[in-house]
Amino acid sequence: MKISYYPGCTLKSKAANLEAAAVAALATLGIDVEEIDRWNCCGAVFSLTADDLIHQVGPVRNLVRAKEQGATQLVTLCSMCYNTLARANRIMRDDAVKRDTINRFMDEEIDYAGEVEVVHLLTFLEREVGWQKIREKVKVPLEGLRVAPYYGCTLQRPADVGIEPFGSFHLMTGLLEALGATVTPFAAADTCCGSYQVLNGEAGARSTAAVILDNAAASGAEALATSCPLCEYNLGKQQGRLLEAGQITTAVPTFYFTQLLAVALGVAPESCLFDLNSAASLDLLKTKNCLVAA
Amino acid sequence: MCDADNTTTKKTIRVATGDRAILPEGAKTIPIYIMGKKYDVPETLTIMKAMEFAGFKFLRGAGCRGGICGACPTVYRMAGDYKLHYGLACQTVVEANMYLAQIPFFPANRAEYNIEEIGGAAEAIHALYPELFRCVACNLCTKACPMDVDVLGYISALKQGNIKKAAQLSFDCIQCGLCASRCMGEIPQYHIAQLARRVYGRYIQPRAEHLAKRVEEIESGKYDAMLQDLSAMSKEELEKCYVEREREPDMTAPGAWQPKETRYL
Amino acid sequence: MAYTPEMKELIKRVEATRPERLARARRGENYPALTMAEREEVLSKYHPDYQSDAKRTVQVGPNKGDTFQEGVARLLESRSIVRPDKVNLSTVDFDTDVLVLGGGGAGTSAAIMASQGGCRVIIATKLRHGDSNTIMAEGGIQGATQECDSPYYHYLDTIGGGHFTNQRDLVAALAHDAPLSIAWLESLGMIFNKLPDGRMDSRHFGGSSRKRMQSAGDMTGAEIMRVIRDEVRNRSNLITTLEFHPAVELLLDEEGKCAGAILMNMETREFSIVRAKAVVIATGGFGRLHIKGFATTNHYGATMDGVVMAYRAGVGNKCLHSTQYHPTGVAYPEQNVGLLITEKVRGLGAHVLNIDGEQFCFPLEPRDVESAELIREAMDVGKGIITPTGRVGLWLDSPMIEELHGPGTVKKELPAKFIQFERHGIDISKEPMLVYPTLHYQNGGINVNGDSETIIPGLYGAGEAIGGVHGENRLMGNSLQDIITFGRRAGRNAASYIQGGVTLKGLTLDHVVKFEKELAEAGIEDPAIAPILLPDYATEEVVERRWTEALTDRAALR
Repeated sequence: MKISYYPGCTLKSKAANLEAAAVAALATLGIDVEEIDRWNCCGAVFSLTADDLIHQVGPVRNLVRAKEQGATQLVTLCSMCYNTLARANRIMRDDAVKRDTINRFMDEEIDYAGEVEVVHLLTFLEREVGWQKIREKVKVPLEGLRVAPYYGCTLQRPADVGIEPFGSFHLMTGLLEALGATVTPFAAADTCCGSYQVLNGEAGARSTAAVILDNAAASGAEALATSCPLCEYNLGKQQGRLLEAGQITTAVPTFYFTQLLAVALGVAPESCLFDLNSAASLDLLKTKNCLVAA
Repeated sequence: MCDADNTTTKKTIRVATGDRAILPEGAKTIPIYIMGKKYDVPETLTIMKAMEFAGFKFLRGAGCRGGICGACPTVYRMAGDYKLHYGLACQTVVEANMYLAQIPFFPANRAEYNIEEIGGAAEAIHALYPELFRCVACNLCTKACPMDVDVLGYISALKQGNIKKAAQLSFDCIQCGLCASRCMGEIPQYHIAQLARRVYGRYIQPRAEHLAKRVEEIESGKYDAMLQDLSAMSKEELEKCYVEREREPDMTAPGAWQPKETRYL
Repeated sequence: MAYTPEMKELIKRVEATRPERLARARRGENYPALTMAEREEVLSKYHPDYQSDAKRTVQVGPNKGDTFQEGVARLLESRSIVRPDKVNLSTVDFDTDVLVLGGGGAGTSAAIMASQGGCRVIIATKLRHGDSNTIMAEGGIQGATQECDSPYYHYLDTIGGGHFTNQRDLVAALAHDAPLSIAWLESLGMIFNKLPDGRMDSRHFGGSSRKRMQSAGDMTGAEIMRVIRDEVRNRSNLITTLEFHPAVELLLDEEGKCAGAILMNMETREFSIVRAKAVVIATGGFGRLHIKGFATTNHYGATMDGVVMAYRAGVGNKCLHSTQYHPTGVAYPEQNVGLLITEKVRGLGAHVLNIDGEQFCFPLEPRDVESAELIREAMDVGKGIITPTGRVGLWLDSPMIEELHGPGTVKKELPAKFIQFERHGIDISKEPMLVYPTLHYQNGGINVNGDSETIIPGLYGAGEAIGGVHGENRLMGNSLQDIITFGRRAGRNAASYIQGGVTLKGLTLDHVVKFEKELAEAGIEDPAIAPILLPDYATEEVVERRWTEALTDRAALR
């Protein structure tokens, strides 16, 4: 099976581990990932204009590329990219006036009316592969690993593009259980990680992050799974500083869900680029014997 | 003086010389609007030569006159149509009822750097040009490019950290500045592309090892005596050496062939 | 733009004669080549380099007694733009170590190397930095970098190609430095066409014994220029670039050393005095003189300025009588006028035809003979085709290639040309091309030695402005190498000359006074005022309507 795939800029640099693990994991599921040609920024960081329309041009152009290249669905991994693309798609599908304006502005491109469905990989895995099949393919079950499924903001908000209803976490839970992990639900699963606050109010962002990590630890989690590079930055990469500063007491190493998927399916850890995570992440998997034998 | 019709002819044939156009008998003219003002010029002329025909003398706005230097970016619109068109004045033929203006210069921020120190990582480019991230993918840059460069494509590639792709996509850039003139993010695309290409050429594209070796040989003085000997030869001796030299076969790959005579290598 | 209906009507005459011409070609018959005597005749009557009537002997200066084209001779025997006795040389506007005249490849290389030597540099250039013939060079740059090659063979190929008329120390310098130049460009981040392991993907060219042509796509010169210009911009602490600021006269000091130049701001028409311990002339060639009215491949500013200024200062030139013409430059469409059409088209069997679709010459005569025959047919016999812009041309019947070698051959063998014409609506596999000889390269230039030095202390030369590297015939890829080799040498040697200690005495224009006195004594009437800086393309009609004679004060209305 072949899927059209939209990566996003961060996944080509700082969050390469999010992507590498996904691609490797999907390969073991027999899914061929085809990156769409000539993609641009999803639009998440377009902040130049107050009105909403120019904000949509970038994301819509990616959807046009997918349509041009014959895709009916476009799979993506990053929460932020998913959110931006899905929201733009909804406008193009449902709002005739805005659709017309955007299509006119982009007169060098083919017209677009929401023909391509934007799908997050979690949705895709449940819908097109199924937890049962994944369970069967697991080579190294994540037995005894207690993982908190962390959604952050953008997987569920706004409701009409959420991958599942607000307050529900069954997609990530379903996946983690299929991989053999123990899921530890926690109250802060949809609390904002601090987002770009880290740029202008680092202290605020860090206290938010501390609340989330404390809450996860208190719920018994040893690890935290996410799908967003920004969440991974605030909760994972900054975690050492939180520990040093005494803002949290227990480490909760963080992972992209794709990395946990990949190691469980027997992908070699080198293919999951754990060097981009905090060192504690790989150490935890080693301790828990969750890695395929070399 | 530089351009006289002083060819030796029995009959006087009046023809265009140099780059100066004339209107031959019976030829058609068409109206064009240079900065809003109407001029009648011969059809099939380029915008540049049409302006000269009309009496303009360029100081700015003309360079190589062959489509590669980027001195003559021009924006135009056809009467009654909202679409803006872009082209090089030396490469675009006049059309009737075209409204045109040249943009011979457009200000664009350029960051200084040291090629020896910058290294091959995209982060260095991001640090020099943070405005790169002001791109909203509106694509007006690409639409304005007279060389059909995928400007949005290389800007996107750089945001993604793909210097090689940016270097390749921007290779045909002539740095005319039309992209920057249209950018709502105020990005100096062509300067960033230049930086990306140099970083690619210096740090990412593999270096030529045979070249480094040859440089060492030259600097050790290996060829000095040979060149002196050649310079001291009579014309006849030189001719003999010239005629006797072997020719590398056409179909061999570079580096694969060795001549029989190796004394002078 | 596609051929006009009128031109398409004329093409029918070409098509009418084609079957019979093809039949002859298939039988191996061709239009008879000229005998040696006939060649002589057509060359002397019609070739710009040979026609004696359009040539004359100069009567003043270092090359007194030598023969040049009228347009060149007139500029060598010219007066200065300024009146030397009225110029106040005591106010110096810019003081610098090295003044580089010209912002093309040679000048820019010189500036970088001089700054490398710790010198403060001013680049004074007539148009924008980079507007030059360098940027237009497509093919490539020579350099003996491969194992099967060496500077020895580069030397031999170059001097053989130049019919052994080249100045030998220059050839030796070129062959020696060529790989160094290429390594330098590589280290500056130039993108060369390379094989995956980094090896230069070098190619053969006319007159090469080894694959020595290195390239960057089909825009090698542009890539060189972009990279070295960018490097200059990274050295703003040492290098100042003055655009639209050509030099109009060299300055010497009272001891005869070169000591700077007078610059003119072309936009404001203000003049300034630059005092410099060394000056590099890198002002390029003379294509825009349109010798005898020919179209040119050259950039807008190629008007021989440096040769003119050096001549007045006492630096002569060599090989300046030799110009590289190409018999088949484009005459239509207007965007491509002057651009070259490779000899390969005729090599593949395309006939050259007049307005009636008739052959009038053997298509593969030597370049100079072929050019002369085209000129004769158009200008003397009067059977050229006149374009809508009044340009004259002759047909080059490229569709014959498809008939002779099979469909698709044109596109396969001439991909770049095919696209170049297709872009303007002309399919050269179906329609003939319109061609006329075009002026390509100034083979000669000012006298320098292998260290880029002229006979005047502190005055250097590099690039197309210098003469002798190529002799009377230049090989492809040696012009870009000439630019880098001698540009770098000029910059480096200027820096070490200055490091050796240079004390400038009072500035003077006495050399100009002396030269103009010679002009007067020789009785040269109405000398030109030069450098001319830019060509003038105003039509006769426009000039007439400017009422030049009826004006009260011409200068005020300039």
